Amino acid sequence: MGPAFCVIGLAREAEKIQSLRPLPPRGKGWAHFPHRRGDILEGSLLRLPAPPPHVEDRTSTRGLRKVGEVGEAEIVPFLRQAETAGSLAELFGCKIRESRRGAGLYAAPGEAQRSICGCETQNVRLELCGNELRASLVLPSGEALRDLPMVDRDWNEFTEAALAGERGANRHARLERFFNSRFHNKVICCPHHYIRLGLTRPFHDRCWVMLDTLFPLPSQEWLEEF
Amino acid sequence: MPEPMDASRARRLIEGCLRRELAPDAALPRENVDLVEEGVLDSMAWVSFLRALESSTGAPDLGSLLMGRPSSIESVLAAIAASDGPTVAELPVKTTAIADGPVEGVFLVSSGTAFGSRNVPSEEVDREFGMPVGKLRKRAGILSIARVAEGESELTLGARAAQQALRAAGCGAGEVDWILATSETHHSYPSLGAQLHSLLLARESCGVLDIGGACLGLLNALAAARAFLAAGQARTILVVSADVHSRILAPGRVVGEFGGLFGDGASAFLLRARADGENAYRLGEFQFGCAGQYAAAIRVASAEAGAPGGALEVQFDGEALSRAAVSRMEKVLHDAALRSGFALAEAAGFATHQPNPRLVELLARHLGVPVEKFPLIARTCGNLGSSTCGAALHTALAAQAEVPAAKRKPVFLASLGPGLLFGGGWVEPAAGRA
Repeated sequence: MGPAFCVIGLAREAEKIQSLRPLPPRGKGWAHFPHRRGDILEGSLLRLPAPPPHVEDRTSTRGLRKVGEVGEAEIVPFLRQAETAGSLAELFGCKIRESRRGAGLYAAPGEAQRSICGCETQNVRLELCGNELRASLVLPSGEALRDLPMVDRDWNEFTEAALAGERGANRHARLERFFNSRFHNKVICCPHHYIRLGLTRPFHDRCWVMLDTLFPLPSQEWLEEF
Repeated sequence: MPEPMDASRARRLIEGCLRRELAPDAALPRENVDLVEEGVLDSMAWVSFLRALESSTGAPDLGSLLMGRPSSIESVLAAIAASDGPTVAELPVKTTAIADGPVEGVFLVSSGTAFGSRNVPSEEVDREFGMPVGKLRKRAGILSIARVAEGESELTLGARAAQQALRAAGCGAGEVDWILATSETHHSYPSLGAQLHSLLLARESCGVLDIGGACLGLLNALAAARAFLAAGQARTILVVSADVHSRILAPGRVVGEFGGLFGDGASAFLLRARADGENAYRLGEFQFGCAGQYAAAIRVASAEAGAPGGALEVQFDGEALSRAAVSRMEKVLHDAALRSGFALAEAAGFATHQPNPRLVELLARHLGVPVEKFPLIARTCGNLGSSTCGAALHTALAAQAEVPAAKRKPVFLASLGPGLLFGGGWVEPAAGRA
């Protein structure tokens, strides 16, 4: 994604809650987005013809205005009412393939029907691999998804903060130990644990599966525990 | 410990793995070029390259060692040199005969256990099986039985015990080189080990081995893990047992004198080739055997097609089995004491199979040791099959963790399986003899 990032929101249309991706007037990513997770925004979003799988794209035609906010625990029940899947085949309405070397999963751009989907998980593991934050998870179907790029902004900022030089020695080992131990109780056992997967924009004819959102979000206080 | 891989071999493996990610005609970059910064590889290809390299070098921690370093060949070479993972391809083939004496450096570093979440009083079990109320309590000494609730299974119990063991050691599932699983009740595929592998999110290059032996399965698995570690083929092994009898040995399928004894539970142990943590125990030698003369004392098989209610054919000579069980466990425990150099009276505990609590009391009397040294899992949970011995070992080790390290004592192991298979061994404090 480079320095820009993507924003995913939920919109209620009639009785249905669905994910959408507000885009800036130009380009596909936001260099600066002046709102926080959980903000309730009002604005005008235009649905432009978008090739699948990024059918959730909406162009922002006038400023988004904050009209309220909900807490983290309140967001997840809404996410559970939006697009969800329990198995690999249901995620994006297409076959998910594994890269030839087995690291990462992708969908063919012409096959995927959507690019955002939430799911419950039986287990999630975060791992540092050569300066990259990767996630592996198990779907309710028992299928394991490995080496997904972790693009959740809060979790990446938490990781950066954990590895900041002023935190002293053995920072990587300490963070890995946190991921291997306390993470389980804090995240997987949390009542509002939920994840949202996404597909990247097509790149060399592949839309890679990534972990867009991991609830609960990390707390800065956790940094003091390791 | 494995010898470090020489640089020329490491370079060859790096080149091989990198070529798979690069365009066929691309030149290899210089060793100090940052492959990601310079756009030689995108982040997906970089991680894919590292995973391939972890697999081919047998060093599962390369990705972790490269954190904070440039994404260059130079850094990768340094990480391979720094890795303490087993460089399998480089190791000379060596065999370690158990009979040769204790193998140095195989340690049990943590453990976990899980039971079915429903605790059913034995009187209720009596009624379910149409037995006189109080029979299980009076005849077998069983007060209650642990049974799974809806949604629980061998997999969920095994995973719970495994996660407890992993967390106790601060070990990530990604560090595990092998999962050795055993169950006498899980008979479907994917196997229990394979399902545990997925659920725990072990890394893909972590091997899986499902081991049989029924109630002896845990000791079989521990012995196999010991051999893998001693041979340098693994650095960390997770051994898991899980048994859910209540869905198989149910009323209407088997008689209560047999089916009523069994409960549901799991155990897990993390083994390493080094003594991590102050609660590590050195794994002693194992001894196994098979007393075929008792093969008919217990047989369980599917009834012929058309049998009502999917009944099982159970051949169960309780008296012969009890005699054989006590005599063989007594024998292996005495042998283990001789080989270990510890007297049985010195033991902190005895983690044995527990067909029922009455037999454990009898075994204790035969051995001349207090029955309190046997964590009586079967009294409140029932016979957990391969997990009885594991749950007892976990309980004995948890009690020892309260004792200062210098005063800890060994725990002896013994178990049995239909056949009549038997086996035993011991674990002793890694810190040395008290």
